[in-house]
Parts: sequence; structure tokens; C-alpha cells
Amino acid sequence: MPVSNFTPLIVVALLLVDGRAEPVAWTNLLDKLDTEKQAVQGSWRLTGGELIVDAEEGARLALPYQPPQEYDFEITFTRHTGEHSIALIFTTGSGQATFEIDAWSQHLAGFQLVAGRTIRENKTRANNQRLVNGRKYTLLLQVRKTRVKATVDGKLVSTYEGNGSDLSISGLWRLPDVGSLGLGAWSSSTSFHSVRVQALAGAAETKVAADRPKPASPITTERKLNGFLNVIGERVKEASDNLEKSLATIQERVNVETPSPLQLSSDEGHEKIAVPFFKKHCIRCHGPEKRKGKFRVDQDLPNDFTNLQAKEKWSEVVNVLNSHEMPPEDEPQPKTEDVAMVVDWITGQMSRAELHRRDSAIVLRRLNRAEYQNTIRDFIGIDFDPSGFPQDPPAGGFDNNGGALTLSPLLLELYYKSARKILDHALVEGNKPPSLRWRFEPETGDSDSNRVEYDSHRVIVNGGKNRVENGFKVMHHENWDRGLNARDYAMPYEGDYIIRIRAAGRVPPREDVVRAARGFLEHRMNEQMKKDPAGERWLREQFDRDLKHFQSDRMYDYGSPRLKLIQNLGGTPRVIAEFDIDARLDKPVVYEVQARFTTERAGLTIRYAYDIPKELENFWMQGHDDFARPELWVDWFEIEGPIHPAWPPESHSRILFESNKRFQDRRAYARDVIERFMRRAYRRPVTEAEVITKLALYDNASRNTSSLIEAIKTPLTAVLVSPHFLFLAEPLKAGTPLNDHQLASRLSFFLWSTTPDGELLRLAEAGSLKQGKDLETQVDRMLKDQHSRAFVTNFAGQWLGLREVGGNPPAQDLYPRYDRHLEISIVKESEAFFGEILRNDLSVMNFIKSDFVVINARLARFYGIAGIDGDAFRPVPVESNIHRGGVVTQASVLSITSNGTRTSPVKRGTWVMKNLLGIDPGLPVANAGEIAPMVPGIDKATVRQRLEIHRSLPQCARCHNKIDPLGFALENYNAAGEWREQEGFAYKGRIDRDDPVINPSSSLPDGTKIVGVAGLQEAILKKEDLFLQCLAGKMLTYALGRELGIADRVHVKGAVEHMKQNGRTLRALIKFIVSSEPFRSK
Amino acid sequence: MPNLVDQHLSRRTVLRGLGASISLPLLDAMLPRAALGAPSQYRPLEKSHGVHPRMICCYVPNGVNITEWMPTGEGLGYEMSPTLQVLKAHRKDFTVISGLGHPASKGGHSGADTWLTGADLAAVPGSDYANSVSADQIVAQVHGKQTRFPSLQLSDTSGTGSAGHSHTLSFDRSGTPLPAEDSPQRLFDRLFVPDTTADRAATLRRYAEKKSILDSVLSEANALHKNLGSTDQKKLDQYLTSVRETEQRVRRLEAWIDIPKPNIESRTLQLNSQPHNAHDRPMWIDVMLEIAYLAFLTDTTRVISFEWSREAGGFGGGGENHHQLSHHGGDAEMLKGLGIIDRFHLERLGRFIEFLKSTADGDGNMLDHTLVLYGSGMNSGKRGDHSPKNLPTIIAGGQKLGIKQGQHLKFDEEKHPPFSNLLLSLVQMMGVETDSFRDSKSTLTGLS
Repeated sequence: MPVSNFTPLIVVALLLVDGRAEPVAWTNLLDKLDTEKQAVQGSWRLTGGELIVDAEEGARLALPYQPPQEYDFEITFTRHTGEHSIALIFTTGSGQATFEIDAWSQHLAGFQLVAGRTIRENKTRANNQRLVNGRKYTLLLQVRKTRVKATVDGKLVSTYEGNGSDLSISGLWRLPDVGSLGLGAWSSSTSFHSVRVQALAGAAETKVAADRPKPASPITTERKLNGFLNVIGERVKEASDNLEKSLATIQERVNVETPSPLQLSSDEGHEKIAVPFFKKHCIRCHGPEKRKGKFRVDQDLPNDFTNLQAKEKWSEVVNVLNSHEMPPEDEPQPKTEDVAMVVDWITGQMSRAELHRRDSAIVLRRLNRAEYQNTIRDFIGIDFDPSGFPQDPPAGGFDNNGGALTLSPLLLELYYKSARKILDHALVEGNKPPSLRWRFEPETGDSDSNRVEYDSHRVIVNGGKNRVENGFKVMHHENWDRGLNARDYAMPYEGDYIIRIRAAGRVPPREDVVRAARGFLEHRMNEQMKKDPAGERWLREQFDRDLKHFQSDRMYDYGSPRLKLIQNLGGTPRVIAEFDIDARLDKPVVYEVQARFTTERAGLTIRYAYDIPKELENFWMQGHDDFARPELWVDWFEIEGPIHPAWPPESHSRILFESNKRFQDRRAYARDVIERFMRRAYRRPVTEAEVITKLALYDNASRNTSSLIEAIKTPLTAVLVSPHFLFLAEPLKAGTPLNDHQLASRLSFFLWSTTPDGELLRLAEAGSLKQGKDLETQVDRMLKDQHSRAFVTNFAGQWLGLREVGGNPPAQDLYPRYDRHLEISIVKESEAFFGEILRNDLSVMNFIKSDFVVINARLARFYGIAGIDGDAFRPVPVESNIHRGGVVTQASVLSITSNGTRTSPVKRGTWVMKNLLGIDPGLPVANAGEIAPMVPGIDKATVRQRLEIHRSLPQCARCHNKIDPLGFALENYNAAGEWREQEGFAYKGRIDRDDPVINPSSSLPDGTKIVGVAGLQEAILKKEDLFLQCLAGKMLTYALGRELGIADRVHVKGAVEHMKQNGRTLRALIKFIVSSEPFRSK
Repeated sequence: MPNLVDQHLSRRTVLRGLGASISLPLLDAMLPRAALGAPSQYRPLEKSHGVHPRMICCYVPNGVNITEWMPTGEGLGYEMSPTLQVLKAHRKDFTVISGLGHPASKGGHSGADTWLTGADLAAVPGSDYANSVSADQIVAQVHGKQTRFPSLQLSDTSGTGSAGHSHTLSFDRSGTPLPAEDSPQRLFDRLFVPDTTADRAATLRRYAEKKSILDSVLSEANALHKNLGSTDQKKLDQYLTSVRETEQRVRRLEAWIDIPKPNIESRTLQLNSQPHNAHDRPMWIDVMLEIAYLAFLTDTTRVISFEWSREAGGFGGGGENHHQLSHHGGDAEMLKGLGIIDRFHLERLGRFIEFLKSTADGDGNMLDHTLVLYGSGMNSGKRGDHSPKNLPTIIAGGQKLGIKQGQHLKFDEEKHPPFSNLLLSLVQMMGVETDSFRDSKSTLTGLS
């Protein structure tokens, strides 16, 4: 972005407003600069037309220019490191002084010394003038006879009034010549992009004045303006290109109202809101007189939210106000609106300060677990399980944040071990190991005493207490003694094995369920009647009621039986697959699963995994063999392996490629192998020097072994623990454009969570990736590719919070329909829904409300949608009476926003605000406590009523009035995400006839009434811009791997506009992001 | 039925993906009962391999039922609360401390992150989260050189957890979390099973090779460092530090190569216990403590941190939802449930104390030379508040390290005296020469 180009315009404008003189011509002071001669302290150099200085205390340089009486002195600069001041050393009248910004470690700006006083003590002091490293600033000093004005990015920051006679320069900045200008950068590595002055018309010693006739009469505003326009006109002719860009930039800036970071704190708000409130309510005790708790509101609360101590104190003020601690009860209480105003102002200032504090640079980013795993898969060609790695901490909602991803000695140790393991796995020596194939017939025995010999391993084959039919074990329900086992053996070779299971299922129709249940119910009724003949009428009623349950409840519209396969390795069980058995009895199918075995003691277990919710009517009969439920028939299962489709395996020949050199010149071959490996690992070309250091490792290792493979593993291990592999290294200055290879990596890790593939690398090599067209084509190609699934699981999974599913699951006894299969399905539903919108270029507004859902049979049963079979997810159109469509109707979101035993309208409201509207409602007050489980005086207090009592304090209501209505609208979904009309108060949360009806209506703070989920969806649809901004912001955060700051707003807004013009698709958003400046530069 | 071949291909991909993405907690409950263990039969050994100061920090999440926890009275003559009664037999060997808190903590479920560090997690500008060194690691810096493992981190979930939901109590000098281990088997193997059967020369060669690799990446990283901006440099510093420390570890391993790991009989240790299996819960805590005990006894390490469950997680001996109960809102039934979990935990602790007490250590027993810190980093309060004030705390053992045991040390919770005072005392008792820790104001009054 050509930010620097608009500077002249601003200068011109200011000059004219100032009305003193017309501009003449700028002199570029860098042109004739001899840094060696002019540097007073520090290492200064000119590179590419820019002046650069390293961080050093008192670094300063004199400029070869003796200024006239009146002049403008202007620099553009970027401070890269450090937190100290940048200084302009100037002269006026008889004095020489500095103007400094971000000074005194207190973010001050101003002139010093004035009458011997530093910025801290003199009148020119301006607070909160913090420089953000990596950002470009323009600093202008307008030196006039009677005053000096300092402007930063076009905004006036400080004015010195006087003729210079009271100015002096601090010894820290002193220059050899008291008459010259100079620059300083205190312990801050800084680039000065331009340094220039212009002498002014009318000023002494300037020749230019004579060339232009001065107006004879006082200039009217209109004439001034005309003059201004004329000047502009001339300049436009001279440099129309630049100017157009500048105007566009200014226009853009005005549109997005990006406040200058130097204008951070609102003095006005402080004076108009905070100070009067304190005066009225606080200062009597916390002021000069009493100073209770050693705290004074007039002294201890500086209007500087970037100062951490101050921020801490301000947040304590919010806390005591919100929690009603202050003012004390016996004091006059402030009006709720007044408290609200103060608290809102404080929290607003805090979050603005927070945004400004953020560095906009992308921090050197380590591959996270998923990225490491995918990279190993695509680069080496083997599956690696990184679950032993520490979890990656998320920041800003995503776990690919460079700043948050840490590296510890232990992790490095794990990287080292993994690298060894991966290479041992990838590179093989010797002949192909023999493959074995053991088929287990579970009907041969149903206890652990059944040992069957396979290749001299005596394996326990235990078919469990399941009946046998036609040579199949028939699994009817899950119980500890009903699994099928083959265990107590060890594989002779480590490797990948295929497990095959020949199975089929039988799904009883509803009539069978009702018939079976009737049998149980009749038997029970008869038994009970024998004991209690007088209760016959009641018992018959109960019989009818219970039978009706089996006739009507949709849980008995059974799906296919389900199988769970557990691998036990070295004593640790692990579920390796869980799937529906959709084959019918007349056509059994062989199902295949692949798993890796070590040579540790091993076992395989097959378990029945179709859950029927345990309810009052069925819990006592459903584990009985006569009860009708889906049956899982297993004929046999077998294990075959280690499997090697090729020998040596592909992973081997990828690294040790075919070459004649291998036998002619082993060392030269090793060199080539290393180089090729490094290029893929480092995702860029490598230098000869880099290759040579790794080749040295090979040479070293060769001394101890005659095996090429053993020796080559040493350098390759080093490559896999190198920082160039583990980090996305972009050794560039902040703000500079990425090169093609770096861009290829960004792109690949954004859309695929993996290393760039061959095509991306080829384009990078050719240097054409940076061109917009290729970039767009690549985005299309990448989204089409299977690898983009990683984008769905990683981006959507974290945006929607799907990784939290199951963290605090709905309690089994209260929500029996929430089972394992459902839990897997609800996560997949949200992912599949996102995938549907992504791949078909549907409008992202479908996330808010859609007329379709993407479900499998399990969810169809849960949502009450008929006619869906099978475990695959597919889009299904839905009518409004189904109450589904859009993320807020998905059980994943609804269950993670509940607390396991009940719904939480607060969590749901917060979720909607944060994830759909992009508003952070802030943290609750400390010690807010929990809503009461019971409310005295109300027999059946709904969650809503309990919450309303909880927030009866106006201070609570202030925030909760924004949050809770959004959640109340979703009260028709219970904590498991099931639709309900009433809140249940009967045994285990069941709904009785007279239980309270859900009240899903509420009012938003602006008065909008919303009713239920449909009303909520309509309300969000109306806030389209908020949602689009939220989504764009989240995706930009994910794409960049850093949190967003103020400066990113312009890109977010740009993305929103782009989406609006391009069908509101995710593709449009992605394309905008990859071509945006932050994505393409360091 | 659709085309079988196609179906197979697609199914295979789907299933393979599934295996990797499944999370484990639920499935363990489905294990056959026959495979599950009975209460641990492990018995303490006779005597230790040598007298050394030791320290273990045991963390329970979600606070306690404070109404049944708080003792009445102070000093030696205090009266035990219903919950503390569980430790009645050890009354003379522990002290209960009330009123301490972490002033820099915001409360809520980030207690494990700051329990041993006392850090203000939001103190560093531009960073959402910044922790600092934990007390156990300060001790490990002094004692770690003398043992095969400088310190151990145990937890119910391997790894570090996430910022604000730490699965480890230990943080190194730069505030980086040290990943914890949750598997008794892996832990036991690490401590007591010989690394490799390879001969000495081969092992030394392996170490030398590792050092050469580390050297190589270190020089690569140093070269890269020069070309980076300052924030990137800071990030890469973590890498550089890690490489250097790993090199030191290799050196340490070389130093230990001729010293065999202690030979420990594992037959009665229930190493297959699963942390998230409700049935295994007591056995899992017990076996982890048994291994901790063995690590101390053999002087394999002198510093252990053990997070019994992560914050906002965990469950009781009968599978009760600990987190849910901590949001009791003052409800009597839920408080009762919480108390049951608290007592279950103290039973496990009591058993561990008993082990240490039963084992001779020089002229006394192991407990006398072992600091056993036990507690939670939050207080669920009388109404389920989740506050960082009045953290439930017990310190057992260490009488020969200078602790005066058998008391209730009561502090005024409203004054929010720093828990760091206690940590400072413990660190000093372990022989670290320092006069401050984090926000400590002094050592803890009355402890010695």
C-alpha cells in the first residue's frame, strides 16, 4: 500500500490551513548524506535509498543542512525494534532542541528541553503517543518564528509556543554543530524512508520567494482554498498516478475510520464520562482527603490504557462497580445508566488499547501437530501419529498462532525421536519381510481358554457369550462378556496391517420391536398383578402407556448395527475404527481397516456399538437377548501384513531415488539425496553451504557404518529437526513482500495445513505464483483437492468450536439419546455443512439460516427427519417445522453451549455474539457465582427464570441484556440439542404434561423483539455486515496465524465488500485473503 | 447395494481418518470388566536408597467443598473438619493452611496454570498468555543435577494442555509448560526399564551422533537468527534454548551410562490403569503415586509435580462429574457430592503419606525428608464462585527439612496473603538460596 505517497498532500493542506506561507520545494536530505561523516553515535547506513540505524543508546546523526528561519522538516520512518523514542533534532531562533515521540518509556511526545524542562515536565507533553513497531509513520515539524508544530500522520500532536530562546538540547542528543538538524533513535533499530526539508517563502535566506508574487491583500479562506486546489492541480499534472493512489488511500482511510494509534485514548471520554462520575461518587473517600484503601481516583487512574498497571486498576474499577461493591451500600447509589456509561467507556478503552498493543507482524510460526502430521504424510509418505506431542495452545481462537506456539526442550526431544522413527519407517533395508495372514473364527470358542495356533503363536480367540448362527457370531448388545477377541500375540514385524471383518447386519422392523416389547411388558404386568390384584387397572394403564412408547418413539426406527474395533498394543487400548455394518444377511461384506502394529503384545477386539437410549420404558429389557434390536453378525475377522504394495516401499524410493550415481559415486549420490530432501523439507531452494553442512554429518556417520541407509539417516534426521523445517521461516523485514516460495508455503498451510505440493513448488520456482492469476487458479485447484478437508476440520472446527464437543457432554442419565455415535455425527454434521457451502459456492448466509441440513441416518433419527439411511452425510432439504438449518440449530453448537446438565442461555448468547457477530461480550465479573439450582417459591423454575433472578442486579443486566436474549431464543433446544416444547421436571429431566412451556421470545437491547430460533436467525440476517466481518476476521486470523489488530480492519472491510460483490462465497473470501497485503507480506 | 469395489475404497479412507481423529475418553468405559483391576496390592518397601530432600506437589482441580474442608481453631490444637478427618491417622504429619491465595490470578479454571508459578498470565503486552517459572523447577535447577531425571511431571492427560487450561503444573525458566505424562506404563518404563539392550559403545555412538545433529541445527538456527526481526528472534530463542538443553541432556545421559537404572519389580503395580476410566480412577491415582514414591526412594528424581486431574475436568472415585459439582451454587446435595470426592482424594493422599512413613530413610522415615504439597488453585467457595482466594492447601512431611507439623495455619483471606509465601518457604527448605519467589512478601509465618 503506497502509504507514503499521500504525505505531500497532507502537508500542503496543513500549510494552507496554517495560512502562513506557500510551499516551495522539498529538499531530500538523504541524497547527499555521508553517513560515515555525519553519524554522531551508532551504526548508520544508507541502503536502497533508505537510512537505517541499528539499536543503540543515543544513536544520532547530523544532517547536512543549515535551515532558514522558517521551514518544514519531515521524515517517514518505521521503527522495527525497541520501545524508545525517535527524535527530530531541529533549530529555531537561537535554540536547538528535539521533538521526540514514544519517549521516556511512558509513550510521551513533545519538545525538550523547554526552559530546561524535559517532556515529562513541560507544557508540550502529549500522552499515549506510542509507536507500533513495524508500522510506517510520518512526522512533520513546522518551524515558524513564534511556534513549532509537530504532526504525526497528519494529526497535530504537540505545539511549542515561543521563539526558541528558551530551547536547549539534552546532552544525550547533542550534535557537534548547534545550527544543524539531526535524527535520533534511542535503542531502536529504525529505517528512515525519507528525510526532507523545505524552506518557506517569506523566510529569510530563501531565493524562491522572489519567483512567486505574494498576494497583496489578506487571503480569504476561499482564495486560500483556490490556491490549494491550484497547487493540487499542478501536482496532479506532475504526478497524477501517485496522487490518485494517495487520494484513494486517504479515501479508504476515511471510510474505515481507522483511528491513528497515536490518538488512542479519548481525552474527551475521560473528561466527560469518567471524571464527573468519580467526582460525584468516589472522590470523597478515594481522593486527597481520605485516600481509603490507599487508592485515589484522581491520581491512580491515569488515562492511559496501554499502561498495564493503569489498566489493572481500571479493570478493578469495573469489577467493583459491576459487582455492586462500590459505592458502599450506605452511600448514595449512582444511576444504573451512569454506571453503564462509565463501565462501557472503560471496557471500550481497554479493548482498543488491547488491539493497539498487538503487533501486526506474523511471528515465526512452528508447525502445529496437524500440520506436522500432514507434512510428514505428504512429504515422506507415511502416516505419523503426533498425539504424543503436547497440545498446541490456541490464541485468537486458532491453534496455528505463531506467537502462541511454543517450543520446549521436551518437544524438541520428541521431534528428534519422531524424526528417527519416521526415517526408520520410511527407509528399509534387506528383503521384503514375509507377510502373514491369520483368520480368526470367533465361533470356535467363547472363553479365554480357546487358544488357536497361528505360525506358532498361540492366540486367544474368544467369541464371547454370543449365539452362533450359520457360522456367524450374532452380537445383540454390548456387555463385558460379549466382545470378540483375538489377543495375546505379538506381530513378528512392525508395519501396516490390514484387518478384515466379514460381517452383516439384521435390522428388525418396528413390528418386531413392538412385539418383543409387548412380550416383556405383558410378562411384567402379569407378575405384578399376581402380587397386587387390586392394582390391575393402574397396571393396565401403565402397560398401555409403555407400549405406546415402543410404538411411537422414533428411536426404534433402527439404523444399521454398528461395530467398534479396538486395537490393544502394549497394554494400551485404542479404538481404530467405528462404523455401520450396512450389509444385509444375504450379502455379507468384508470390511477393511488399516492399522499399524509394533512388535509389542497385541490384541484386537470387536464390540457391538449400536446404542439404544436407556429410558425408563426400556432399560430393563434392552440388554435381554429377546429384545429386538439391530444385530451384528460376524463371520470371521483376519489380520494380514505387514503390507507393502511395493518393495522397497514408496517412502523409501522417494528419498533414495534411482540413480546410477548411487553405485558409481556414493558420496555424490548422498549429496543429491540430501539436497533433494532439504528442498522439500525447507520448502525452498537450498544453498550449497547448507547442503555441505549436512553432508558433513553423512561423512561423519559413514565412518561408523558401511550402510548408506544408516549413514544417510543422520543428515536427514538433522533436516527434520532443523528450524527451517519446523518453522515457517520468513527471514524478512516486517512489511516486505514474501518471495514465491514463502507465498507457496503460506498458501499451502492455509488451505491444506500441509507442505506445498509439487505444482506449488514448480510455480514458485518459475516465480509466477505472485501473479494474481496463478494465485487464483491455485486457490481453485487447492479447494477442489482432497487436502482441503484439512481446511474444513481445522478452520471450521475451531471457528465453530467443534473441538469442544464431548468436553463436557450432556449427562447420560438426563440425555440418554446423546450417545457415542451421535457425538461423532454432530461434529461431522457441522464439518460437512461447512464443506457443502465451501465446495458448492453457496452463500455464507446459509451459516445463519439454511433450507437444508447435511446429515446421516443417526442425525435424521435425532432431528426427526424421515427417509435417510446410512452413515454418509448428504444435504437434505428441510421444512421449517423441522427447526433445523444453520449453525445455531446444529446439535454440536447447542451441546457445547450447554453445561452438561442444563442449557446455558448465557453461553449460547455469548457464542452467537463471539462467533457470528464478532462481538466480545467481555468477561463476567469475578466471583459471579452460579445460578441457583432451586428457587424458593417457584415450584418448577425454568433455566430462564433462574437466570432472570440471578441477573436481577442492574449491573449484571447491563451485559446480560445483550447476551441472554440471544440464548433465550434457543431455549427450544435442550442441552443435547434436541427440540423440545417444554422444560422437563419429572424423573431424570423427563417432560410431564404440566411442565412449563418454553418461552423462546425476548427483546434485544435495541428493542427488537425476537421469537425463537427463527426470530434469532432473522435478526442475525439483518446484521449481515457484522456476520460477514466476523467470518472474514476469523478466516484472516487463521490464514495469517496471528491475531488481528486495528490495522487489519481495512482488510476485513475489504473482504466483506469483495464477498458482497461475489456471491458471498467462502471462495471469494479466500481469494481476497490470499491476495491481500498482510497475507502476501511478512 | 451400491458397487462393492467403490464402496470399499471410500470406506477405507474414511475409516483410516477416523482412527486418528477419535478422542479416547468415552471408549475406556466400554472395556470388559474382567480386564479391570482391583484395589492396588502394592506395598511399601523397607528402606530408601539414600537420604535426600524431596518435593512433590499434588494438584486437585475445581476446588473443594470448602464448608466441609475448613478446620476450626488454629495452631496445634485446631479441630479437624469432616473432610480432613480422613487424614486423622497422620495428624502429626501434616499442616492445613487456610487463607492463602494468588493475588495475580483472575480465578476461574486457570488455577493449575498458576498454582506453582503465581504468575499474572496477562502481564506481558501483546501476549494473551505468559507464564513464569514454577517453584518446582526452581528446586529442580538445584537438585536436578544429582539425579537421572531433574524432575517429573505427571497428569491425567499427557502433554501441556492449552493456555489457561494447563495439563501440567511445571513451567520452565521462560514460562514454557513442561509436558506431563499420564500413562503409568510409559512412566515406569522411562524410570526403571533399561533404555536399550545395545552395548555401551553403540549407545555412546548414538549419543555422539545426536550431539552432532544438534550441533548442526544449532549453527543453522544461529545463522537464521541473524536474519530475523526481533519478535521472530525471540521465538527462535525458544528453539535455541531447547537445543542447548537437549544437548545438556545428552551429556547427562552419557554421565549416567554406566549407572544402571534401579531394578524395580513391577508385578503388583497396576501399570495399565487408565486415567479417564471411572473404574480405574482410584487405581490410576494410586499407581502414579506409587511410581512417584519409587522415584523418590531410588533417588531417580527429587522433584515431582502431579496434576491429578485437569481443571474443569476430573471425576470422583465413582465417576462423579467433579467439574459439574464445583458449580454447586450453594446446593446442599451438590456440596455433599463434592465432599465425597474431596475425601476420596485425601484417602489417596493418606495412602501415599503412609508409604513414605513406612519406609526407613536414614535414621528416620522418607516422609520426614519429603515435602508433600497438596491443594487446588481455585476455591469453589460457598456458592460455587471459583475464586483465587483461600486456596485449599495441605503441606505434609518434611519435618526434618524444618516444617513444624500438626497445625492449622490460618491467614485472613480478605487480606489475600500470597500463596507465593508458602512456595518461597518450601523452595528454601529444599535448599535453594533465594529470598523471594514471584509476589512473595516473606516466607510463611508459622510454618517452621
